[in-house]
Amino acid sequence: MDDTHTIWIEKYRPVQLADMVGQKEIVRRLQSYVRSGSLPHLLFTGPAGIGKTTAAVALAREFFGDTWQMNFRELNASDERGIDVVRNQIKQFARTSALGGAEFKILFLDEADALTPDAQAALRRTMENFAQNCRFILSCNYSSKIIDPIQSRCAIYRFKPLDDEAVAEEVRRIAGKEGLEVSDEAMRAIVYIAQGDMRKAINALQGAAIISRAITGPMIYEITSTARPEEIAELVDIILEGDFEGAEGVLHRLTRERGLAPNELINQIYRAAVNHPMDRKVKVAIISHLGEADFRLSEGASSDIQMEAMLAQCVLSAHAHRNNQ
Amino acid sequence: MMDWAEKYRPQHLQDIVGNTTAVREMAEWARTWTRDAKPLILYGKPGIGKTTAAYALANDMQWEVVEMNASDQRTRAIIERIAGSSSTTASLTGARRKLIILDEADNLHGSADRGGARAIIDLINNSRQPILLIANDLYGIPKELKKLCEPIQFRALQARSIVPRLRHICAAEDIRCDDDAVLASIAEASGGDMRAAINMLCAAGIGSPVLTERDVATGQKDERSTIFDLISGIFRGKQDAGLMQLSREVSDTPDTVEQWIGANLRHIGDLRSRAEAYRWLARADEFVGLTYRRQYYTLWRYATALMLLGTASAAGGGGLKGRIAPPSRWQSMAGGRRQKMIRTSVLTKLSSRLHIPQTTLREDFLTPISLMVDGDPEYFVEHLDLDQEELNFFLHDRERAKSIITAMAKSKREMEKRSKTSTAAQEVEQDPVDAEEKEKPAAARENQATLFDGF
Repeated sequence: MDDTHTIWIEKYRPVQLADMVGQKEIVRRLQSYVRSGSLPHLLFTGPAGIGKTTAAVALAREFFGDTWQMNFRELNASDERGIDVVRNQIKQFARTSALGGAEFKILFLDEADALTPDAQAALRRTMENFAQNCRFILSCNYSSKIIDPIQSRCAIYRFKPLDDEAVAEEVRRIAGKEGLEVSDEAMRAIVYIAQGDMRKAINALQGAAIISRAITGPMIYEITSTARPEEIAELVDIILEGDFEGAEGVLHRLTRERGLAPNELINQIYRAAVNHPMDRKVKVAIISHLGEADFRLSEGASSDIQMEAMLAQCVLSAHAHRNNQ
Repeated sequence: MMDWAEKYRPQHLQDIVGNTTAVREMAEWARTWTRDAKPLILYGKPGIGKTTAAYALANDMQWEVVEMNASDQRTRAIIERIAGSSSTTASLTGARRKLIILDEADNLHGSADRGGARAIIDLINNSRQPILLIANDLYGIPKELKKLCEPIQFRALQARSIVPRLRHICAAEDIRCDDDAVLASIAEASGGDMRAAINMLCAAGIGSPVLTERDVATGQKDERSTIFDLISGIFRGKQDAGLMQLSREVSDTPDTVEQWIGANLRHIGDLRSRAEAYRWLARADEFVGLTYRRQYYTLWRYATALMLLGTASAAGGGGLKGRIAPPSRWQSMAGGRRQKMIRTSVLTKLSSRLHIPQTTLREDFLTPISLMVDGDPEYFVEHLDLDQEELNFFLHDRERAKSIITAMAKSKREMEKRSKTSTAAQEVEQDPVDAEEKEKPAAARENQATLFDGF
């Protein structure tokens, strides 16, 4: 296969449950379903890039063997949302019996939280009516967006963000197969930008690999439009010193010269601030300002002004705190 | 292999766990069913036995079942074709009756179901067969429909009544479980939802012949920490990173955590500090609200950080004075939502009667109307078709509202009975005292300017 056209997250997606990185306990439970040949409806919840889809596909492969593609169907609820999809498409798949001697089919409904409550209500009955023929695996980021009657019908698995070592391990494995050299700094960078999201990590690695076989930290930050943690730490320190001009300078360097997206920058400042050993009173004030700016940007406010205003507010809070002491 | 919840669904009313009153009322309804009997609405949370009870009832009575639900296109035509025929025609298989079960009766509002409520009402009016409606939320059922039916509430099950059922299933599935605490923790985690409990048991039990705490921990509640750890961490001065880590491990969403923190702010003795804590909790609450309103879940993290760190900062590691209380607001919160629905329903009725917009009614007219209702509750119950909760909305006196509604229902029943007996045997004389008593309030009303005259 022409390597430049393969997305690595597909190329290296684990085929078997046993190959999955992290989620050990969940994998163990899923394997015992395979061993016993039975399966309830499942609900996978958790953030992106931590193995929900991989687990569903691998589970289907192990359940059905060679006939897995005939008995497994993946639908993405956010592409094909609405009550009619559930009523027609899902029912169509669910009501026909399984092929190749399998006892049932598996329907994987990704991003099920994108379904309207109406569609979910319809889904709930379909699940029950066709339980003989078809098991449902629903996946979503937030289980609170799935209506109670469906949660009541599923075994719920909460996937946790992968820990840094798990991400690093997988990146090392892929780098080895691709013949890449990943420096320690680059690995730290990958883990930092991934935040437990394997998809982000692998995409960053692939992006950097296009530039060079020897991967360095700056390449990773460059390719992912992320500021280095040191730069963010510097910005936070400048804020705490109460130096608005200085903070503004760093902001301009990052957004105008380096082209960082303002909400990504807010995200990074947030992570740095939460883990910073500053006094809690200043910290909560800063987090509050960050949240406000994030919200306003999401509502379409102009980013230059909002970011500067946010910095000004943070600097002011730092000042006020210092004067109080 | 069948779904366990399906496989172990009780077949007879007597096997149903919990909800004994509701089940008894259903059996009584079925036993004495005539064409004049009102259909029942079984309502309550998911997974507590409504559908099961409906099927078990049919089984016990040897009635055939015709079931419909929201995933069928509940348009008028279909209801008429399927249920209409079964309701008026005699049963083919020779079973005595057909029980028509309309599931998800609170889910008729979708545009695809236009006309559904109307069709069900027609069905109820024309049916010669018993009808059961099933719903999660009584107030989600259109008023006109609810009026025609008798509601029966199903309540969440006690954990201790779930455990024996789980033990029974373990035995049937050859799963060894020596430790009852394991089953108890499943029951506890299910929140009174039997189906969820059985699903959890299934998830934990499949493929492992011996059930241990470890299986349960991974099957459903895979968090390593509880909300209690988090709350105690906040007040005992745990470090920021530790708190954030805890909050990730606890599976509760920020809005729930917020309620817990709010319920425990009394642990901060100093008033100024407590106000400080409230300030950040309120700020966090803003972000929770924005998250839901805008469906922008990134904002959740600010809510979490602010409520945890803000409260921890205000508490200053002062520790806990006494035990950690669960949010008492939970009950009143559910109550608040209910209250809102009752208010909406009352205002809708008033608004259509008086031709006044609901907002105007709420702002300018509620007090005078309440006073008038207080003066002659029976009249308003009659004319606005108020139920007990709605009457209480005006009276703010639960006892009185209840006794008025009960008395009115009773006298109505007696009147119906009397009109039946008097047509059957016209000779029978009416009780003179009774007749006189009934006349009085009617006469009193004549001299009274009523609300509806006024407008």
